[in-house]
Amino acid sequence: MISFAAPWLLLALPALPLLWWLLRVTPPQPRRMDFPAAMLLRDLPLAEETPARTPWWVLLMRILAAALLILGLARPVLGPGGDAGGAGTLLLVVDDGWASGPDWPLRIAIAQAELDRAGREGRPAALLTTAPGEGAAPPRVIGPMPAGDLAPRLAALRPRAWPPERAAALAALEAWTRNEPGRFSALYLSDGLAHHDGVAAEALMARLGPNLTLARAEERPVRLLTPPRAEGDRLIATLRQSPVLLPGEANLIARAQDGRALARASFALGAGATEAQAVLELPTEIRNRVHRLDLAEENGPGAVVLLDERFRRRPVGLLPGAEQGADAPLIGDLFYLERALNPFAELRRGDVERLLARPISVLILADRPVADGPELAALTRFVQQGGLLIRFAGARLAERPDPLLPVQLRAERQLGGSLSWEQPQRLAPFPEGSPFAGLAVPAEVTVERQVLAEPSPRLAERVWARLADGTPLVTAETRGAGRIVLFHVTATAEWSDLPLSGLFVQMLRRLVALSGGVAGTEGEAMLAPLEALDGFGRAVPPPPGAQPLPAAGEVVISARHPPGWYGTAGGEGYRRAVNLGETLPAPTLHAQPPAGTTLRTIATIPAERDLGPWLLAAALLILAADLLVSLRLRGLLLPARAAALALLLVSTPAFAQEQDGQSALVTRLGYVLTGDAALDETVRQGLVGLSDFVNRRTAATLAEPMSVTPGRDDLSFYPLLYFAVRPDAPALDPAATAALNGFMRNGGIILFDTRDEGSGEGFAPGARQALRRVTQGLAIPPLMPVPEEHVLRRAFYLLAELPGRFAGGTVWVSREQDRANDSVSPVVIGGHDWAGAWAVDARGQNLHAAVPGGARQRILAYRFGANLVMYALTGNYKGDQVHVPAILERLGN
Amino acid sequence: MAEAATPARAEAAAARLPPLVVAAERIAATVMQGVHGRRRSGHGDAFWQFRPYTAGDAASSVDWRQSAKADRLFVRETEWEAAQTVLLWRDPSASMQWRSGRDLETKADRADLLLLALASLLLRGGERVRLVQGDRRAFMGRAALPALAMALLRGKAEEQPDLSVPRHARLVMIGDFLQPIPEIQAALSSFAARPVRGQMLQVMDPAEETLPYAGRIRFDGLEGEAPLLIPRVETIRPLYAERLAAHRAGIATMARAAGWGFSTHRTDHPPHAALLALWLALAPQ
Repeated sequence: MISFAAPWLLLALPALPLLWWLLRVTPPQPRRMDFPAAMLLRDLPLAEETPARTPWWVLLMRILAAALLILGLARPVLGPGGDAGGAGTLLLVVDDGWASGPDWPLRIAIAQAELDRAGREGRPAALLTTAPGEGAAPPRVIGPMPAGDLAPRLAALRPRAWPPERAAALAALEAWTRNEPGRFSALYLSDGLAHHDGVAAEALMARLGPNLTLARAEERPVRLLTPPRAEGDRLIATLRQSPVLLPGEANLIARAQDGRALARASFALGAGATEAQAVLELPTEIRNRVHRLDLAEENGPGAVVLLDERFRRRPVGLLPGAEQGADAPLIGDLFYLERALNPFAELRRGDVERLLARPISVLILADRPVADGPELAALTRFVQQGGLLIRFAGARLAERPDPLLPVQLRAERQLGGSLSWEQPQRLAPFPEGSPFAGLAVPAEVTVERQVLAEPSPRLAERVWARLADGTPLVTAETRGAGRIVLFHVTATAEWSDLPLSGLFVQMLRRLVALSGGVAGTEGEAMLAPLEALDGFGRAVPPPPGAQPLPAAGEVVISARHPPGWYGTAGGEGYRRAVNLGETLPAPTLHAQPPAGTTLRTIATIPAERDLGPWLLAAALLILAADLLVSLRLRGLLLPARAAALALLLVSTPAFAQEQDGQSALVTRLGYVLTGDAALDETVRQGLVGLSDFVNRRTAATLAEPMSVTPGRDDLSFYPLLYFAVRPDAPALDPAATAALNGFMRNGGIILFDTRDEGSGEGFAPGARQALRRVTQGLAIPPLMPVPEEHVLRRAFYLLAELPGRFAGGTVWVSREQDRANDSVSPVVIGGHDWAGAWAVDARGQNLHAAVPGGARQRILAYRFGANLVMYALTGNYKGDQVHVPAILERLGN
Repeated sequence: MAEAATPARAEAAAARLPPLVVAAERIAATVMQGVHGRRRSGHGDAFWQFRPYTAGDAASSVDWRQSAKADRLFVRETEWEAAQTVLLWRDPSASMQWRSGRDLETKADRADLLLLALASLLLRGGERVRLVQGDRRAFMGRAALPALAMALLRGKAEEQPDLSVPRHARLVMIGDFLQPIPEIQAALSSFAARPVRGQMLQVMDPAEETLPYAGRIRFDGLEGEAPLLIPRVETIRPLYAERLAAHRAGIATMARAAGWGFSTHRTDHPPHAALLALWLALAPQ
């Protein structure tokens, strides 16, 4: 269905035959040409008496272009949207709460289509958004105004990260209808949710009737991700959604702070399901880096959960029996504990008072009895409030048991030893239901001493680990919100081998994972908004209306408290994540609209298209073709010009080859582009410095060095190529390999520099492997360290060593005497970062310090460069010096 | 207006002069080499032959050096020095200032070059050379070529040709001869009445021979002719060729009747062939 925005222009269509006639009678403009022999052309009998006529297909083309122009200017609209019938003002009501984010463009497109239609029909329009604006400005009706004026406002609308306030919107609507008593028809783009106020939605719809069109995304569920629960090594995330008919799936991504995906999991949602769970299995170290969870396919704030310290930090306090000697290697109380816990938990030391002054999730008492009084009270309170207290037995504890033990202790027993018949005991497999269940029990772990538990009816259920003879090794008891766990052995290797085994680490890890996170600073401190989520779930600076939040207590998400990060400023400051899923109710659908309401589905962008621009563009194209054709008919379009035009149209920029011309004119050094801009710049500066040095000190004249890409540039103009090997350099492609092989075969020299030799060891780790990669396809001859008499050491200066920025490494040259190439080595391989030593800036100052340093090293580096250039330019010419004594001797004879 | 433009034109001409003279000399030299071996007399001062002394010869004509080598006396005989005057003319009309392509010379340039090269050859041969238009001096000697070139380039189209041609002089006319046959006939017969014999060389652009155009074209003549619209040029190409051939045949017939020679030359061909033909045609039979 096509309608026209300016239909009166179509009246021009009947004029087309007139145009046809005009074009028929007007022959094309002749081409003018000076011609001296015009005299001879005069009065020639013309063989073809037909008048010059524009060919029929040119006529057709022009008529078509004119028709397209007329049609295009009449602004046809294909499939005009908007069926919100009725007359009067068009009232657009838009739910711009958090639930509208995922399909926002569709919603706006529907509203836009309706608005366009109202504009075509000359109806005024008004706009009501139901969510409070930034700064909690209550909803307000904008308008009525001409539809064209409202369009930019509609386009500027963004979904909010907080729920809509339909009651307030209803009030605004009431006020507006009092001022504008005329008729209106409404289009309500609803997110379909009741939010916390289902009645208001119903009332709003009732008030909007009777000319109400309700647009809902019925097929798409509104999803709300709730903060995950930590269970051991696992994070269990729950997804809530509004019920839909079809089963679905959602993918959960755990991201680090820099946005990298750390883990994925998926929710399977059955038909009509409103809740699903997904399990993220993450090692603790990785889990601690999870910064946010989001749904892969959704982009609203409801699909994002920010994870703060509660999900991450597990501070563990360590209390030894005696501070002295607690860290003594191999025998200290805390020696094994610290090593086992350090990789995945934050360890704290200090006395009880100091440890408990800050939030802490696990407290480990290694053979430390608890004194009565304030200490006992503080620890009891810690456990009651959800802390995990882990205790290790020992001589002191065995003497003075205290109430903070899961079991009554009876006695200490010794297994094995000279005075005992019993053998040291092995561990039994962990019982089902124990947090250690599933851990493999190594056979070599034996227990020689332990404290025994007083048998009691509840003992069996408190045992988490047993020895092979059934005596408890680890017992635990729940007290209040917390737990007390007792290891019946010491935390040292004194009583058992357990602390020496990997099992010890795994057990501790599971225990720490059991503990609850730390909720952070409790108190009255206000947390300022640091970062907010916008309506698309992106982290943005907090809106101006966002207000600080009390550190404790429930948060009601609103325009004043948008979801996001709140906290105290500074890097070490405490941050609290406020998530939509934390406080909002599960998404439920609002009531059905009143009878008589037109329903629309938000599923696809309405197919309204303004065809005008396309038609005009087609007309222009045809006219351009017509121009070419008429030029051709007049003979003005030479084939070369046509080819040039066509080339202009389809040309792709080819790699300029102009540098070949330049490089052929003068001698210059080349360097292979590595792809690392900083490194390339250093090498360039180095070669500039070297060229300058060579120009000053020798008869050679080198121009500005140039970069080359083997395989693309012609290498034959360069005597020497500097190839700095990046640690992550990829293998060369076949074209580059062929080019470099050809270069070496024809007498070129390549200086490979790995920049990590000698004193530079470790500066570029991996460069040697990279060198191996890079030179894989190259015809590198067998190598040897540069011998004492090598020409490289005497081509210009006499050099005992060949340092660059670094010194002390080995420099390799070809071993073979290749007569074909004057025995000149095609490669020099080393890692002294010569370019770094040669590099000068625009003012001629050296840029990089030499290692180990000294002016002498720099001078020697330049001298090596001069020798290398001489070697590249003159080959073994200076090698004759080697024979000077022999020649002199012969001359003397 | 032409007077005002004259100094500027002379300047421009002077700037063109050295390369033109050099080019002309070079072409002339190649033609000289081409005709080498023909027994041509040299300059009047040049040696022609020795002959034995006979009574009556002036003592001053005895070549004493040669005579000293033998027992007899030898007289040094030089070439007969009756230098002929050759008049040179090239068409100064606007239609000559045309070329069909950027890589070609204009017909006028080619005509100048040919004229100067011919003049160079003639001057080397000891002939007198005169221009029909402009400077009426007769030039002699090899060194006169630059002066001749200067005179040629300074010549103005408006000047009436000087018809006071010496008797038995030779006349070389270089131009495109695209006037109607009767006009050419009139000019030719005025010369033939003198009697002057000569050569006509028609210099044409390749496009004028082949008419390589197509489509609807309005042709403008270069000499103020009325424009001519041809709807489809490609269809009249054979007709044009026919007509051009007829025109040339007419000129040739006319020239033959007057005892003149007629040849043609295209600017995309090397000038040597045309020059050689002219030079041979001018040589005494």
